[in-house]
Amino acid sequence: MNRTFSAFCMKSSHNRSCTGAAHTIKGRSICVVLGLFLFSCSSLPHAHRGTLPGKERVSPVRYSIVCIIDGDGDYLYHDSRGNPHRADEEALVGAKMAAMRNPQAEVFIFHEKSRRRSLPFFPLRDGKFSYYRNGKLLAKESYGRDQGQPPLNPEVDLYYKYRQESGQPLRAEEKPDLVRLFLYFGHEIPEFESSGYDASRRDRKLTVNELAEGLKRITHDSTKIDLVVLSTCFGGTPHTIAAFSPCARYIIASPENLHLSYFDLHPFERLDTGLRDRDVSLFAKEYARHVFDRLKTEVQTSVTVAVYDVDFVRGYVNAVESVYDHDLNSFKGEAPASLEHCDCADNPAYMLPGMNEGVEVFYQPPRFGRSKHKNTHSGWECWRVRELRAAVSHSAGEVR
Amino acid sequence: MLARTVSLTVFGLVVMMLVQIQPGNAEGNDGIKKYFSDTASKVKATAEPAQKREILDKSLQTMSKALDRVESSGLISQKDRAGIDGFKTTLQAKLDELLGRDGYERVTDAQLNSFSDYVVQDMEQAAQTITISLVSALLIIIILILVL
Repeated sequence: MNRTFSAFCMKSSHNRSCTGAAHTIKGRSICVVLGLFLFSCSSLPHAHRGTLPGKERVSPVRYSIVCIIDGDGDYLYHDSRGNPHRADEEALVGAKMAAMRNPQAEVFIFHEKSRRRSLPFFPLRDGKFSYYRNGKLLAKESYGRDQGQPPLNPEVDLYYKYRQESGQPLRAEEKPDLVRLFLYFGHEIPEFESSGYDASRRDRKLTVNELAEGLKRITHDSTKIDLVVLSTCFGGTPHTIAAFSPCARYIIASPENLHLSYFDLHPFERLDTGLRDRDVSLFAKEYARHVFDRLKTEVQTSVTVAVYDVDFVRGYVNAVESVYDHDLNSFKGEAPASLEHCDCADNPAYMLPGMNEGVEVFYQPPRFGRSKHKNTHSGWECWRVRELRAAVSHSAGEVR
Repeated sequence: MLARTVSLTVFGLVVMMLVQIQPGNAEGNDGIKKYFSDTASKVKATAEPAQKREILDKSLQTMSKALDRVESSGLISQKDRAGIDGFKTTLQAKLDELLGRDGYERVTDAQLNSFSDYVVQDMEQAAQTITISLVSALLIIIILILVL
């Protein structure tokens, strides 16, 4: 626009009013650009809704999926061709695809994003929520994650806001056919009180107990989630499984490191096929096998995927609870760099009868490194002081 | 003149705001991850095993030196120092395995491409880098740029 106007003015360079008009237009353009920029930076309540259930003819829902994706951290990874990927963005795409391809599901997707420094008068929102039902996006809104303690309050509130508006009963006894699934994507969730989980808000705290507590509020204390998928590193510890066991029937987790390409969600795109008989146990095992097979072809580091049948593992978890809690408490004073995870089977205190009951483990050792000859994993991950490994590694080196 | 002043003011404001809203946290580690990914790409683009080994060796050594310099700079916290120590230990283990030292089996010529992926993936798994602050990560990248 300015270019056209300048050309016009060149033809009548003596026309002062034209120059004045050019300034006015330029000034207006700048104001418009600035206005648009400020608007794009702001987080004015951003809500979009389609026709909400309750206000249209609602198709029955057989699956309810809550998916939380943490994106407030260091989630860059590279594939073997050197292409960069953002783990949280890819998990989000997978979750949306699953939401759109399941006509009998309602899906709550929460994407927790980095909190960028807010401008004066423009409090930026650092969460994005989408609600899908019957394969359609019905609601989408931004939200702030700083809405008081406990940490998952905003997510739980949004769940009930849309759940209640759906007009569907929540309690299991009222909806016995509903299969409930909970998916969490992120880095290792701290087991003991620690801050720094969120890269943009180092003061914000999240622990396994707080996440499990949030899940309990979603399940309303009277129901259980049929399957909890923890797509994080070191999710298969006795403490983590114990924390989720009151509200879960089956749990899938990676006891060791999990590559950032995560547990992919392709099998969730056809729940009518995968869960046709409502056999969650079978679906969990098939899903674990699927993600394991995919990861082991792409990843050179160790791959460990475990399925926990909560009723069966409860005995073992209770038996080692005091030992594990003692370890956690004694390690609290240690510098994080001096601690490391290890297979619980490496520590005789955890080698109790029933250790293998109710756990199905898919394991591939790393292709390189000290553990490349380790052929099995118990499915349970513990802690130890790093020096201990030095001694173990040394002795292992001597054996070789 | 007026328009020029307004333009400059607006430009200044926009720049100021862009600086203000930079996320500034996770990006520090991105440069370190890219460094290892670039190394893996170079290894795979090279046919000769000896050259592949040399690229890996040089890459790991250069990063180790950068970490040493950051550590000795006095600009980092005690917590970061511990994180960098852990990072260095991991790098040293990779170097030892590449060369077959300290009880490691030497990485064979046929495995060098896979080993370069292993280094990338192991480094990208959060534990090694997440304990390093933005300041340290940026210092490492700056030193890498100066060294390379």
